[in-house]
Amino acid sequence: MKRILSSITDGRGFDIALVALPLAFLLLLSGLPLLYNVLMSFQEVDMFSLGTLWRPFVGFENYRELFEQPETLPILGNTAIFVTASIAGQFLIGFGLALFFWTNFPGASWLRGLFLVSWVMPGLVVGAIWNWILSGDFGVLNFLLRESGLISGNIFWRSDPNYSLWAVVMANVWLGTSFNMILLSVGLSAIPGDLYEAAELDGANAWQRFWTITLPMMRSSIGALIALGLIFTLQQFDLFAAITSGGPNNSSNVTQYWAWDMSFRQYDFAKGATISVIMIVFVMLASIVYVRSTRHEVRG
Amino acid sequence: MTPQIEFSGVNKYYGAYHALKNVELSIKKGSFTALVGPSGCGKSTLLRSLAGLESISSGTLKIAGDVMNKVPPRKRDVAMVFQSYALYPHMTVEQNLTYSLRIRGTPKAEAKKAAEEVAATTGLSHLLGRYPRELSGGQRQRVAMSRAIIRHPKAFLFDEPLSNLDAALRVHMRKEIRALHDRLGATSVYVTHDQIEAMTMADHVVVMRAGVIEQQGKPLDLYDRPVNKFVAGFIGSPAMNFLPAIGSDDGRSLVVDVGAPQSIPISINVEPGRKVIAGIRPEHISVVAADSGLMRVPVAVVESTGSMSYITTATKPELAIVETGRTDVSGGDLIGLSFAPQSVHVFDAETEERIG
Repeated sequence: MKRILSSITDGRGFDIALVALPLAFLLLLSGLPLLYNVLMSFQEVDMFSLGTLWRPFVGFENYRELFEQPETLPILGNTAIFVTASIAGQFLIGFGLALFFWTNFPGASWLRGLFLVSWVMPGLVVGAIWNWILSGDFGVLNFLLRESGLISGNIFWRSDPNYSLWAVVMANVWLGTSFNMILLSVGLSAIPGDLYEAAELDGANAWQRFWTITLPMMRSSIGALIALGLIFTLQQFDLFAAITSGGPNNSSNVTQYWAWDMSFRQYDFAKGATISVIMIVFVMLASIVYVRSTRHEVRG
Repeated sequence: MTPQIEFSGVNKYYGAYHALKNVELSIKKGSFTALVGPSGCGKSTLLRSLAGLESISSGTLKIAGDVMNKVPPRKRDVAMVFQSYALYPHMTVEQNLTYSLRIRGTPKAEAKKAAEEVAATTGLSHLLGRYPRELSGGQRQRVAMSRAIIRHPKAFLFDEPLSNLDAALRVHMRKEIRALHDRLGATSVYVTHDQIEAMTMADHVVVMRAGVIEQQGKPLDLYDRPVNKFVAGFIGSPAMNFLPAIGSDDGRSLVVDVGAPQSIPISINVEPGRKVIAGIRPEHISVVAADSGLMRVPVAVVESTGSMSYITTATKPELAIVETGRTDVSGGDLIGLSFAPQSVHVFDAETEERIG
């Protein structure tokens, strides 16, 4: 008894206790709901069986039904567009800004810190701000585009099915750019300065230095960032709720919003769970990329 | 023949800080020049200006006769070995070596052949596929040098390349770098804070302090005739002894004060009463019986390495003496010191410049 006690206060027992606590927390609050969600996607669920765990098992019936619905493929397509465009926008603008601040002009670090404000803001607030910016009649974006002669009539960003998804993409790019910039700035500052001097003496111009030193040295940062970006983008819910609610007519609907809509607005919990399971598969793939890219860090 | 590298009237300012002061330096083709001095003396700034990593504020810098003031580093055709080696961590040894060739668009097969040739001469052949992180310090050092050699540059610049190696390897690499220099017939500029490295490797030594070239010349000339007290104290190990002294009435000797006034002969004329500093190298003093010799001093400490004996006196200022072989002197003894008048260097007490 005494040995067990001393092992807990000082020794392996203590280590195990430290690991066990967060692990139990994770299992209880993430692991179990996850398994429950997977289980639910193989069951027939209605309002009356919500409170029970063991409901009639239907196999892949929910999946079959889901893919028979006409909106499924467009929504999956929307999700792909949303994820790709958001990550591309966030990454490219973020990398551009990171390189810009890297030149270290006076006030660079101060200004870089200010950029984080956008990331700190709640999604719903960002959504509200973009609602004003995107507004068809009096929005600033339309004003700018009109005045610069790019468009002749107003674009109704949120209610035009051709633009509604892009309205959310714009807001999401704005929201995620600063996070990308900060992570890439960290990656950039970790590259030793004398590598650039050596490359310069070896005859490389700025463009060649970027391609042969900066990019390869940033490989792990970029891999991790894109994997994280995929996860964050698939989690983006607030902006859809605030800006388009997935409409009009599902033109801006994506899986994460659709799953919520299925479960909690149409009370089809089985379908909602089924959509979630499909998403889990994609997030898992992204996580593997993330873990692998952080493991292969090249330093020194 | 035009010098390979020529600094004339070069100044460098960092804001108000004057880092290089009117530097005049000309380096012959095929020579090995060492820039030496304490940290912050401007030797690295001078080297980096030569490479183009720093711009010069005024004056002219010529490489092989062409003015280089505004030419970017990549067009100067000089290669540099960095203190940290600055190997590209994401490239194999072979890719590190061929980087400059690939940047210039040399065909792959040709670059590979060049890498193999250079690697064979520097003993890296079996390491071409490795990454820098898998190499030892000495091997990284060799990769850094091979990366410079492969380019056949107009000049090799070394920025304290041996300071990250252990003592034994440093002595070995010293010879290796010098041998390489001779074989390639290259022009090398070597920055170091270690005067022994400078003395043993270079055929032209430049001593710097606070942005100023104090003296330059052949290593042994600097040792034999230092122009001021700073160079005298910097070159040679252990450092030269300095004693405050006054010219005596006969003009051919000095009165030094090491506890009690004693008279020492010198080989030059010093006006009677002039305040000077007498400098004597530890290795030029020999120990004799207490009642003979030119000075009589008590011993504080004796350190022996077997081949050499280092004696420190209990005087103020204390004197260092180096005796070859072993000595029977021990702490507390009274000994006599003897030295040739020619081995006494005399510096003005005010300006610290050499007299005679």
